[in-house]
Amino acid sequence: MSDINNQMVDKYRNNFLKEVEANVEEGDWVKMCMQCGVCSGSCPMGPYWDHPPQELFMMIRAGKREEVLSSSSMWMCTSCYNCIARCPRELPITHIMHGLAHYAKRLGIAPKEQPTLKFSQKFWDNLMVNGRVNELKLGIALYFIDGFAQGVKNALAAAGLGLGMYKAKRLNPFEILGGHSIKDKSGFQAMIKKAQEIEEARISGNAK
Amino acid sequence: MTDVVATNETILVVGGGVSGMTTALEAAEAGKQVILIEKRSYVGGRITQLYKYFPKLCFPTCGLEINQRRTKMNPNITVLTMAEVSSLSGDEGNYTATVKISPRYVNANCTACGACGDAVETEFDDEHNYGLSKHKGAYLPHRMSYPERYVIDPAMIGTADAEKAKEACKYGAIDLDMQEETVELKVGAVVYATGWRPYDANKIQPYGYDRYKNVITSVEFERMNDPMGPTGGKILRPSDGKEAKDVAFIQCAGSRDRNHLKHCSRICCMASLKQTTYVSDANAKSTIYYIDIRAIDRFEDFYRKVQNDENVSFIKSKVANITEDTDGNPVLHGVDTEGYNRYDTSHELVVLAIGMEPSLDVSALPEGISVNEHGYIENDGSNGGIFAAGCSSDALDVNRAVQSATACALKAIQVVNRVARSEG
Amino acid sequence: MADELLMGAYICKGCGIGDRLDCSQLESTATRDGKAKYAKSHDFLCSAEGVAMIQADIDAGETNHVIIGACSRRAKVEAFGFKDVSVARANLREGVIWVRPDNDEANETTQEMADDYMRMACAESKFQKVPQRSGEQELNKNILVVGGGITGMTAAIEAADAGYPAVLVEKSAQLGGVMGQLHRRIATKMPYTDPEDTTVADLIAKIEAASNITVHLNSTVTKTAGAPGRFDVDISTESGATTNVSIGAIVQASGMKQFDANKLTEFAYDKSDNVITQLELEALAKEANGGPIKRKDGKEVQSVVFVQCAGQRSEKEGHLSYCSGFCCAASIKQAMYFKDSNPGVDTVIMYDDLRTPGAGGEDFYRSGQKKGIIFTKSSVSTIEASGNELSVNFMDKILNEEQSMPADLVVLATGQEPNSGPNPYALDEAKKAAEDAGEEMPTEVAVSVDSILNLSYRQGTDLPHLKHGFTDSHFICFPYETRRTGIYSAGPVRRPMDSQQAAIDATGAAMKAIQEVENAAKGAAAHPRSGDLSFPTFRDEGCTQCKRCTVECPFGAIDEDEKGYPKYNESRCRRCGTCMGACPVRVISFENYSVDSVGQQIKNVDMPDEFDEKPRILVLACENDAYPALDMAAQNKLEYSAFTRVVPIRCLGSVNTIWLTDALNSGYDGIILMGCQKGDDYQCHFVKGSEIAHMRMSKIADTLKTLNLEEERVATYEVAITDVERTAQLINDMAETIEKIGMSPFKF
Repeated sequence: MSDINNQMVDKYRNNFLKEVEANVEEGDWVKMCMQCGVCSGSCPMGPYWDHPPQELFMMIRAGKREEVLSSSSMWMCTSCYNCIARCPRELPITHIMHGLAHYAKRLGIAPKEQPTLKFSQKFWDNLMVNGRVNELKLGIALYFIDGFAQGVKNALAAAGLGLGMYKAKRLNPFEILGGHSIKDKSGFQAMIKKAQEIEEARISGNAK
Repeated sequence: MTDVVATNETILVVGGGVSGMTTALEAAEAGKQVILIEKRSYVGGRITQLYKYFPKLCFPTCGLEINQRRTKMNPNITVLTMAEVSSLSGDEGNYTATVKISPRYVNANCTACGACGDAVETEFDDEHNYGLSKHKGAYLPHRMSYPERYVIDPAMIGTADAEKAKEACKYGAIDLDMQEETVELKVGAVVYATGWRPYDANKIQPYGYDRYKNVITSVEFERMNDPMGPTGGKILRPSDGKEAKDVAFIQCAGSRDRNHLKHCSRICCMASLKQTTYVSDANAKSTIYYIDIRAIDRFEDFYRKVQNDENVSFIKSKVANITEDTDGNPVLHGVDTEGYNRYDTSHELVVLAIGMEPSLDVSALPEGISVNEHGYIENDGSNGGIFAAGCSSDALDVNRAVQSATACALKAIQVVNRVARSEG
Repeated sequence: MADELLMGAYICKGCGIGDRLDCSQLESTATRDGKAKYAKSHDFLCSAEGVAMIQADIDAGETNHVIIGACSRRAKVEAFGFKDVSVARANLREGVIWVRPDNDEANETTQEMADDYMRMACAESKFQKVPQRSGEQELNKNILVVGGGITGMTAAIEAADAGYPAVLVEKSAQLGGVMGQLHRRIATKMPYTDPEDTTVADLIAKIEAASNITVHLNSTVTKTAGAPGRFDVDISTESGATTNVSIGAIVQASGMKQFDANKLTEFAYDKSDNVITQLELEALAKEANGGPIKRKDGKEVQSVVFVQCAGQRSEKEGHLSYCSGFCCAASIKQAMYFKDSNPGVDTVIMYDDLRTPGAGGEDFYRSGQKKGIIFTKSSVSTIEASGNELSVNFMDKILNEEQSMPADLVVLATGQEPNSGPNPYALDEAKKAAEDAGEEMPTEVAVSVDSILNLSYRQGTDLPHLKHGFTDSHFICFPYETRRTGIYSAGPVRRPMDSQQAAIDATGAAMKAIQEVENAAKGAAAHPRSGDLSFPTFRDEGCTQCKRCTVECPFGAIDEDEKGYPKYNESRCRRCGTCMGACPVRVISFENYSVDSVGQQIKNVDMPDEFDEKPRILVLACENDAYPALDMAAQNKLEYSAFTRVVPIRCLGSVNTIWLTDALNSGYDGIILMGCQKGDDYQCHFVKGSEIAHMRMSKIADTLKTLNLEEERVATYEVAITDVERTAQLINDMAETIEKIGMSPFKF
């Protein structure tokens, strides 16, 4: 993974913007920003971002690769689309944020302890097993994401919620044994594997 | 019956604002016959609704007085008010314009003595003040109105007050039975000078113009500052009538925005800078929220003056949205993009520097006239004898509009001179 | 018959005049005191019937000097616009009944006010003749265009297209000017995405094809004598061969030059070949012609930085304080040159405010961004050059940090300066500035530029400058009003602008030139007294050659002959009357506006003796701003002193001090002069009139002393047309002052 990172650094030396345009979803929109700040002001998660979208775009243009890719800011995006609705330049900001986050993770330089990142990975891993999300296992994985001791605390705190969900038939304790699966699981996994290969090839192709 | 003499050596100017008047006057003073069509009951258009011009902070009525005097003294110009062009067809040198004249209910006998206005009681929304005040049903739109003739609001027709007005008039000037007229004019060249209108601020949802009383538009704020306007020149909050001591200006409200108007309306930066001088005169503070300050060419001097005013601060930020606190103060939310500073600032009054839309009625244009995506007629030489002056052609300030109008007068003259040569 | 003075007075009883005033008394005042041949009243004088009555009298030869006592001269202009007779208006409505209360107590003084206005109108009428055209000019349709850039070429083409032959003079060996040096121009029409053809080749082709445009290359104007309608112009080539042409009106389109980048030492312009100006980049782009752009040493440029506002929008010594208006869009265009040929080239524009206004401006900006141009709001502090390496040091205002960026090439957007001729008032202005600053008076000012027009005017060789060396008049409503009638500047010499605006400006200036040509033939004045046929005549026998008129004329209309007498040129005149106001021996007068036509109004006011306790306040009100303000005060039913007598005048500059002396000698207790704003943001429609008047009035204090009168009796104010309440207040203030200091001792 860091191999890809080094390759990208080498290839796009001093031109982080070009790198983003080539590798990040909707990255070619970054140059259209006119630094008005409406996105930054509209984001409901705004106060929690180190660098709001508008500043990220400027940083990309200024070549601040390290700061941008290792930032936890874009992971805060909840896809509310407030920014896209108001952006006067029509930038698909939400998608760029997700694109940046995804790219950073690909390169292996996203902040490792970023909760959204960790949860996303858990979600993915969970999904890949059966092609369906195993909600019980995912929930447990989420509780224990910060370690065993914290996990127990989290689980106990949510016990009432869990019981309620069970009674409302929203939680099936038997999922612990495996949970439902899609038909043609092997076909699904082959498909995912192929997609991953294509994606790897695309990215490493871009790195040349 | 309106009797107008027009031939294909006549120039038709559609719109009697500062651009239309200029085109008409320049052509008429060079010896050409001109008919000036104006929708309102008076000429001068939107500049009569301004208190001062930037950057000199001088008064629009000063230039208007000269232009009205020149118009009065020039037999080459025929002014038709309450008139609109409902259709136009033909080719260069040979156009037919259908003009619809709405009834004023007051005829040429009017001496502007004011007796009818004194006699009536009903009041109606005053458009001159953007609906912020009312005028009597028989009224003179503003002090310097030309034609100097009263108007009866159509909504008053058929009421007892209308009769009162008629009785009060000693000169038989009130004709309650006046009808709409349609006149057909043959002309050689046409200059559109239909001007602009403010973009509908209600459409800018995040700014709450429709929800918060203390969020107003720049054109309304301008009227407020005019001593002859709805508040006698005082900056009063619409919610409680208190004087506002802290005013925020939001630039590019509705402009440079794919959600609203894609173009830049040019005048709003300078208009807001001008309006901060009103605010400073009232010993109050201004804050301008902007993306770029477009105080272009010599306007830069004025920008510098305002920057040096301690009462004015500038924040490079497009305000994200507005809410309201319990005192009726609008609260502006956004991010100052120089550095990264979030703000949630309350102000006592918020002025949206609203964008400019052309007032063109595209349906009344002949086929094939090139109107661009922003609604403006492009003077690219492909429109035959039809030209666009002032804000019909681009988002312009008054000085450039007059420049454009003067140029259009020559373009129109070229057309009618060709007609004259071919017929003489 | 035309010479016989037949004054007929008509009094309107409408609008309440008949109710408030004794009109039969007004009639006898007109005949007995005013010496009118007869006087008639009518209930509704402006009606078709009333107007017909007057016209019938005129047609029957009963009257050729019509006196109308009714509403203000600003109202019912069309109705009372009788041809070929003189018309005097007594303002009985706005000037009397609307400003006085309707009660028994006020009746007497209200009637006296009206009677006086009738006397004044009759006195004015007596000294008015219907102006006849001067006959100094015939129709001369030739338009001279000085400068063959895009502005000049457009002016010539547009004038010629309207049927007015153009003579185009260009200093260099070819047409095109600065525009001709450009590779492409900024987008001017939908979709506003790409640089466009400069149109120079097109314009040159049109000029060559036009049968009524004559081009003089390698030439300058070496003499401009005469006046609009009869300019006598010499055009000379470098070798000295001269052609003489007769010209109707002139358009000066001498264009712009770039700000001298050598002054920007912090940007290493003088140190490195790779720091260039926008024009220098155009040359490189032309050479490349769509291919990769190479810098002077032959290297293909891979990275270029544009520095906006270089030496502009700055208060530093030697910098330009204004914005040139075109450079933001021009830099975007130039960055597009690189991107269009090779999208891989890094282009960065460093700006403070990105100024791309208007319908198409934003589209062009967006297009630039789409093509990959990077915009950064930064302020460049220095550029370091070492060998062929350039490093741009700047403060990134968004990220709030100092940064540095290497570049193959740096382009400085240095903006434009006007190619104006020398300012004829440079010395006057330098003297005034020295006076204000308390410094020593200069005796001369260095002239560093060549004359463009070589006017043989007494007042100087070229158009006056107003701000920053530009020739613009600074009227918002009247952009083409120059101080040299019949000479219109256009394009970037007039004010900073881009080429699209320059083409429109050229068309507008051509319009004004054509208009002037037509009016000069008729002997009619240009704006603001459009159509006025009257003009001043000079009685040489009385002239002392003091030269005050020739120096003070705001428009340089008056030269001097060999003997030193004023040599007046009618079509250079704007009819303000400043000359008349200047003349200490009163030898200057217009056919319908003279020392007498105003002076007799003043003297024919009935002057009550000192025991009647009825003062007299004379108000000389400029017809452009002050008189309308007084009319509007009346419309608003504001009241002012019954003892006021208002005389409208063309401009405060036309006020001759004899009027004040006569007024004071006749027993007037107070005199107020109201005129338009003067100074840097002047509103005076004749540019200098108001300023000159204030200057003259500042010396009136001495006169008052010799007459043993209080200074407060004469007051001069700058008034705006919106000063509706204020004008009434100023009159009432004077009335109060008079009560305090007492009546004038000059009454009998």
